[in-house]
Amino acid sequence: MERGYVRVKLLYNTDLGALKEVMDRKGVAFDPSLVMDHVVYMFEIEDCSRVTTHQLVRHRAASYDQESQRFSAATREGVVTPPHIQSNSTALETYNQALKDVYAAYEKLVAAGVPKEDARYVLPNGIKTKIVMTISARSLMHIIWQRTALQAQWEIRELARTLQGLAAQATPELWTTVIER
Amino acid sequence: MVWSSPNPERTIAVAMRRCYSTKVIEDIEAELEQKGTEYWKYLLTKCLQDKSLDVLEHFTMTLLVEGAGESEVGNLVRSFPYLRFTPLANSDWLLSLNARTLVELWKFGDGKQFAESIISELDAKNVSPLFNSLAFGEGIRAS
Repeated sequence: MERGYVRVKLLYNTDLGALKEVMDRKGVAFDPSLVMDHVVYMFEIEDCSRVTTHQLVRHRAASYDQESQRFSAATREGVVTPPHIQSNSTALETYNQALKDVYAAYEKLVAAGVPKEDARYVLPNGIKTKIVMTISARSLMHIIWQRTALQAQWEIRELARTLQGLAAQATPELWTTVIER
Repeated sequence: MVWSSPNPERTIAVAMRRCYSTKVIEDIEAELEQKGTEYWKYLLTKCLQDKSLDVLEHFTMTLLVEGAGESEVGNLVRSFPYLRFTPLANSDWLLSLNARTLVELWKFGDGKQFAESIISELDAKNVSPLFNSLAFGEGIRAS
């Protein structure tokens, strides 16, 4: 699913039917709150900035594996440009010039024999990244509650809404309550 | 066994390749399919040898535990807080965990016997034969 900048794919999710079947067999009425810790989703998140993944991984009750900058070369094309910069020609010019300078420095450092893991210290926060996340429904709901708030930053709000859409599509019975705020 | 991640060995391999590849996920998945199980085995062996167990967290499972008392469950949860138990009825529980927790349960102290019962269930359901063999060795099936 793509909405704007961030691209997210649901790689798998727990089969809610299997949980309901075992609860039924044990004579326990299905209640979403009973399975929130047992339903998990594994997502691939691409084309979001490291600014946003820094915010995402603060939600520690999840498992993450992220594209390493230690071994992969950075490219200038792989940078998120925030809308406030995109829509302001003066700001955009400044931003692009800064990126040009930073990437020239990065390439010079690598060419000079500096390992990528050290050369990356000059790279911008806006650099695009890829990350896999496995998370329970309960923890995902917490992220969505926190990160769709108006005071959250635009990019993680976009990401949170996309995650919510995919989770709700996969397991609608757990997402009957609108938790966006 | 109630449910487990589909194709767990490949799921772990996806997480490993995510760290070291710039490719989009579809290309990583295609690469893993093309290279096949020998490559997954290589990646799994490497993560176990390097003790990079974080990638195992993407292999998750849910089990029905029957006949376990509250004190027994309480002791396990105190030692292994990443076990997620929910009471169903009487002494039945829904348990979810990931493969990293299973490895730690198997390796450390009080959890080994419980881990072995989970591994036996994985074996019985043929859920993750390659992972079981690499992480727990052949001996576990004989015990």
